[in-house]
Amino acid sequence: MVQIVISSAGAGGLAEWVLMELQGEIEARYSTGLAGNLLGDLHYTTEGIPVLIVGHHILYGKIIHLEKPFAVLVKHTPGEQDCDELGCKTGTQYLVTALIKNKILFKTRPKPIITNVPKKV
Amino acid sequence: MTIRRAAAELVRPQKCITQTPIQGWPGWDANRLVIRGDKDEQAVLCSKDKTYDLRIADTSNMLLFIPGCKTPDQLKMEETHCNIIHTEIFGFSNNYWELRRCRPKLKKLKKLLMENIYEGPDSQKEKDSNHSKYTTKDLLDQIQASEEEIMTQLQVLNACEIEGYWRILDFDYEMKLLNHVTQLVDSESWSFDKVPLNPCLQELGPLEPEEMIEHCLKCYGKKYIEEGEVYFELSADKICRATAQMLLQNAVKFNLAEFQEVWQQSVPEGMITSLDQLKGLALVDRHSRPEIIFLLKVDDLPEDNQERFNSLFSLREKWTEEDIAPYIQDLCGEKQTIGALLTKYSRSSIQNGVKVYNSRRPIS
Repeated sequence: MVQIVISSAGAGGLAEWVLMELQGEIEARYSTGLAGNLLGDLHYTTEGIPVLIVGHHILYGKIIHLEKPFAVLVKHTPGEQDCDELGCKTGTQYLVTALIKNKILFKTRPKPIITNVPKKV
Repeated sequence: MTIRRAAAELVRPQKCITQTPIQGWPGWDANRLVIRGDKDEQAVLCSKDKTYDLRIADTSNMLLFIPGCKTPDQLKMEETHCNIIHTEIFGFSNNYWELRRCRPKLKKLKKLLMENIYEGPDSQKEKDSNHSKYTTKDLLDQIQASEEEIMTQLQVLNACEIEGYWRILDFDYEMKLLNHVTQLVDSESWSFDKVPLNPCLQELGPLEPEEMIEHCLKCYGKKYIEEGEVYFELSADKICRATAQMLLQNAVKFNLAEFQEVWQQSVPEGMITSLDQLKGLALVDRHSRPEIIFLLKVDDLPEDNQERFNSLFSLREKWTEEDIAPYIQDLCGEKQTIGALLTKYSRSSIQNGVKVYNSRRPIS
């Protein structure tokens, strides 16, 4: 049987991240892939409503406190350098990297931002 | 109108890592959680004392993990003004793992320990080192349950740790030990509530290993200390129950009236037998003439809910709640009751003014 250990990454308390939930998919504007690119801007109004601007779209969302929090696990497959004093492979491990207690949910249809509306002559 | 701003950048991680959110996290500081399972088993996650089913949940939405992102409430508390915060998205996913508390899968534990029953130190088997034996660590490697749940079940099975290995005693050997103890209590005229450990070990030591005598006392009694001496309060219920098992295992079924007479005569003097003591061990059939009783052990029945009900209904077509309850009690999950199980897996009807339960579908 396999036993995979899940342990806490840091000795101190775990970091708290936020989950952002979007409907649909994100595509890169150019074919360079998603990595390293700017997704967009996240704003909060004074009432605390999150506003996401992606490309020329604007989305309104809401903050949801999660009843069942999430934990983020990072898989760690041991390489050569991961032998402990006893000699050998410690096996696949998961490290709890962060906890997520809140999520920002965007489920309304993105609206295009039109900046230049030509006036009728 | 002031607007607080934060910007998010999407970065694809360089190394190959999997970000997996788990819902229903069992503890903020997970000292140690372990995922356990064989290739042909469904994975479970075990904490120190609980077991959870592990399932993958898919969502059509995209989930982005953002470290360092703050909610409006958190920002309000920090008093930042019109700042731009650059944040990297750690990663994204379309699915997550969901945890649901489940019953530990303990049937395998008894199966493993029954491979090599302990018949006493003089048995030929003990001299032969080929038989399978399991340490606590071995059991953790094989059983899909948390350590605490395994330890509790070992106690229920009256298992004994002998030379570092967990062993289940041969029932006859266990009764031999128990008889030594009860006979000694009788000859010394001790009270069953106050059986002194040291005299027991002294008197019975020549007959059996001291560890086994003490193990027997622990299985059938409760330890306490009075004025610096160790005593055991023996349980009449447990002793009567074991005596019944000893009688019932020798035949397919017994005439109920005869059994009750023999049973009462076989238990130590002063102990009162009662059919209540036999829940989950034996079943009475009050519809046959004469009324009979036979051995039916709940731990011999299947572990899966549907299979359990199937086997119970093949044994007997209709059950009252009182009769069936001891045989399905262990199936109750965290929030499930006997009633809920009966509603799900059986159909009820009234027979002679009494509510009875039968199978939902025909049993072959």
